Amino acid sequence: MTDRAEKPRLAVFKFTSCSGCQLPFLNMETEILDLAESIEVAYFAMAGASQPGPYDLAFVEGGISCQEDARRIRKVREESRILVAIGNCAVYGGPQALRNFLPLEELKRAVYPQPELIHCFPTCQGIADYVSVDGFLNGCPVDHGHLQDYIVSVMLGKAPEVSTRSVCLECKMKENVCLIVAEGVACMGVLTGSGCGALCPSFDRGCYGCFGPSADPNLKSFANLCRELGLTEEEIHRKFRYIVNNAEAFREEAERHVPQPVES
Amino acid sequence: MSDRRLYVDYLARMEGDGAMDIVIGENGEIKKAAWEVWEPPRFFEAFLIGRKVEEAPELVQRICGICPHAHHISSLRAMERAMGVKVSEQTRLLRELMHYSDWIMSHALHIYCLAAPDFVGYESVVAMAGNPDLLPIVGKALGAKRLGNDMIVAICGHEIQNRTSVLGGYTAVPSKATLQALKDRLKASKEFGYETAKLAAQLANAEPYKSLERKAEYVSLYDPKRYPINEGKLYSNDGFEAPDEEYPIWILEKHVPNCNCKHATLKGKGNLVVGPLMRVNNNFGTLSADARKIAAEVGFSVPCFKPFMSIVARALELVHAIDSAIELIDVLGEPKLEPIKYEYKAGESYAVTEAARGICCHGGRVDKNGVIQKYDLIAPTARNIASLEDDFRAFVPKLVNLPDDDLKLKCEMMIRNYDPCQSCATHSIKVNLHREK
Ligand code: SF4
Ligand code: SF4
Repeated sequence: MTDRAEKPRLAVFKFTSCSGCQLPFLNMETEILDLAESIEVAYFAMAGASQPGPYDLAFVEGGISCQEDARRIRKVREESRILVAIGNCAVYGGPQALRNFLPLEELKRAVYPQPELIHCFPTCQGIADYVSVDGFLNGCPVDHGHLQDYIVSVMLGKAPEVSTRSVCLECKMKENVCLIVAEGVACMGVLTGSGCGALCPSFDRGCYGCFGPSADPNLKSFANLCRELGLTEEEIHRKFRYIVNNAEAFREEAERHVPQPVES
Repeated sequence: MSDRRLYVDYLARMEGDGAMDIVIGENGEIKKAAWEVWEPPRFFEAFLIGRKVEEAPELVQRICGICPHAHHISSLRAMERAMGVKVSEQTRLLRELMHYSDWIMSHALHIYCLAAPDFVGYESVVAMAGNPDLLPIVGKALGAKRLGNDMIVAICGHEIQNRTSVLGGYTAVPSKATLQALKDRLKASKEFGYETAKLAAQLANAEPYKSLERKAEYVSLYDPKRYPINEGKLYSNDGFEAPDEEYPIWILEKHVPNCNCKHATLKGKGNLVVGPLMRVNNNFGTLSADARKIAAEVGFSVPCFKPFMSIVARALELVHAIDSAIELIDVLGEPKLEPIKYEYKAGESYAVTEAARGICCHGGRVDKNGVIQKYDLIAPTARNIASLEDDFRAFVPKLVNLPDDDLKLKCEMMIRNYDPCQSCATHSIKVNLHREK
């Protein structure tokens, strides 16, 4: 901490994103009044805090998709002792990284009547492409409990725990019926990092990988499983090019399954 | 000629990034009043092309973390309508309950965490809670917000987005016991809704707020029988009416320099405004009986064209949302797990829902294989930007004698009246106030 006697200074920043990963902070309503005793919320635009740095612990939501993002993330890095990327956007570039696979001019023309007025980078990337990052919390959105644990660990001076398990394991621990076996659903839980508590499978829905790839995903065997379940290459491609599309493992696996143009 | 320029780096307590630029001439006239949103574009409309139809509602709930459910439900309804998919009555009711839960959360958050600190002069809700007189009501507000969140978790399976609602229905439904427990808490929060309406009316009935009036095109959904949240036709106080699927014909978007957010206008009419005040104006008669009763008690009546009264409209809707949720839980009884069945069919359609901050429009064209060929969306904030600039032009001359800091705050409040959420309109804010002398 900057000063032993002082409260640690917390900051929350937003870049190219949906704000969904900042909401868990606002949802800590009961904790926040307690937290205010031991932490200073120095910067959090959504909650009205806008003190200048330096900060002890900065959480960053959002990817980097324009010059202003790139300038600002470098400044945030300089001002922050511990910098943590939260959520799919900050970690991988987010759902909007789907645009990385399309030419920028085409995108602009599709959305804006005057494309020449729009200035942005051709891609949206995770913040680690621009600055060094001390921690990554996955999810689209990030998990409330993970955020809280991270803050508590930092305050206690402990190294935050990082799980390397998969959604599949969490699902088994909940004693859910396996969707792959019982219903032939190509559930991505087998190669998705844990953290959500196997939410979707618990609601009878295949995991679509919003926590990104697990530590050592067996992509090949999953692709084979998809084929056995009757998925086309195009469908396998789309599985990896969806909510989390810009994590290296998913991005590359998508490229291995080239979609065939569908006639309509 | 010397200039007076005020500058605020971003507008605190808003979701996203933007800038407000105001230039005041020598005689107090407004030479420029523009809201510029510079949050980088995310191109959802473009990369949704070529996706499977069931992927759109899933992707679009990530347009905005503040109103994911409005985006999600608009998209569901549009895609279902395009393919002629009919959902069950239970699904419609669950979607309504899901969206009212979001309103309860969002309205409690806006009134207490975003708007009230402005009126009572605190930097934030945490600062406000430091006042022992205000702590109890802040505590209750956070409790109500938590109730909204807990309802969302019960129905959607997740604190922020949904994990249960899909094209055609729900993959999991809440149990009767869960819903009953929520109903008890909803009943217990009615008193708080009442107090909130009183507080809101007290705050907004002070000067200068209560004198600032501007008639404008108030657009919302409308249904003569039921307060519109997920369904209804497009409607305005000035005689405009159209089926919601026709929004692309009527709501036109224009693109202005220095702003990554497209501004919307109503065809043949001009600038429009959307949000709680507009909904309450257009649908006062279908608010819950208690919401109408409280409105009379606090002296609120329609038509009301005072933008600062939007905090009162929000409070009335909070009461209405609590009442509606209780009623919906009763009608739902014991929700059953229903099979989800639909077939891909070529078609094109559009749909509108009411996000807590105003109408949210989605739609597009699907081919016979369920592949999206075209996708369109207009987020609530985009709708209000042009009108917001009209508010500046109308109100700033009346406030021009205020010191810079206060005037700046009043301008920020004018923006917050609309609870703009720029994550969805593309998105943070700074105020530039420039006085020429
Ligand atoms: S990671 Fe997902 S939930 Fe979080 S800001 Fe990005 S899009 Fe929103
Ligand atoms: S089950 Fe998969 S898709 Fe669903 S929340 Fe968990 S990680 Fe995300």
